[in-house]
Amino acid sequence: MGLLTILKKMKQKEREMRLLMLGLDNAGKTTILKKFNGEDISTISPTLGFNIQTLEHRGFKLNMWDVGGQKSLRSYWRNYFESTDGLVWVVDSADRLRLQDCKQELSTLLLEERLAGATLLVFANKQDLPGALSKEAIREELALDDIKSHHWCIIDCSAVTGENLLSGVDWLLDDIAARIFTAD
Amino acid sequence: MDIQEINVASCRSRDAHSCVENIVEMTDAEEEVLVISSSTDAAFDSVIGCIEDIIMEEEFQQLQQTFMEKYYQEFDDSDENKLSYTPIFKEYVDLLEKHLERQLVERIPGFHMNTFIELLMRHKEETDGDIFDMLLTFTDFMAFKEMFLEYRAEKEGRGLDDNGLLVTPLNSADFKHNKPQ
Repeated sequence: MGLLTILKKMKQKEREMRLLMLGLDNAGKTTILKKFNGEDISTISPTLGFNIQTLEHRGFKLNMWDVGGQKSLRSYWRNYFESTDGLVWVVDSADRLRLQDCKQELSTLLLEERLAGATLLVFANKQDLPGALSKEAIREELALDDIKSHHWCIIDCSAVTGENLLSGVDWLLDDIAARIFTAD
Repeated sequence: MDIQEINVASCRSRDAHSCVENIVEMTDAEEEVLVISSSTDAAFDSVIGCIEDIIMEEEFQQLQQTFMEKYYQEFDDSDENKLSYTPIFKEYVDLLEKHLERQLVERIPGFHMNTFIELLMRHKEETDGDIFDMLLTFTDFMAFKEMFLEYRAEKEGRGLDDNGLLVTPLNSADFKHNKPQ
């Protein structure tokens, strides 16, 4: 690692966090990002690249990265792992057919060395849709209780109504802050 | 960049020798660094001064320019970023880091980046100010993208220069590519 990269890491520790939002395509990642930012969410098309938003929340600067989730794009996810403090895994709770796929992708991610120190927040999204599975059901389907390598939490939410988005981020923030700022 | 900056750079440029002063202890063992703390402060300051010189010089700006020339057509002014920006960004940071290190080694006898980085961490409280802001900008993705978009707009004659005047393309053929802002 060179001078600039190290300097950046050094300075970033000052109340700044990097959150990486991933999940299958159509899970609602970009909608969550835009909802956080108070942007219009009526015309969101599938993400082919990535989006970045910076949020100021409780005195923290949150840099949120949202990378497209289509199958062909997933091999690029690794380019965004570096320096991630929190991983936000977004699940379409109404997409029962792809829950096994979803589980598989998540468990692959959790093996990544560069994500080893990251806190995991699972958003059981689309709770506004009829037929959405509860967060308990998602928790079971994804076998979250088997995860011992990361701090994790699952929160049911709706990106469309905005319900519970902030409670998710609050939990994430508390967990990361406890880890990073007490270590100093 | 612009002429004003280049002028500032040439006024500021000192000859390589001035970087050498107070540097001697830098490369030594940690023990000595701790003992001769006032000298290491001076050493730290003069490396920072040297970095300042390097990034103000025309060669550095030339490096950025060449890099932008190579990739600017890849960049579009849309909110969503292409996946291809990421490896380009990585290459950019790499390029600047390598240039900085090479220049420092050339100017400061016995300079070692790892020793300097240790020193930097020990001087953490002093890493505020313009020079550090500038260095951090080099690793800021959004600033990087903005720089490319500005370069592209300028290349395609859509940019505004510092005086607020419209830059017109030299070649009328370029007009075809103009898009209204």
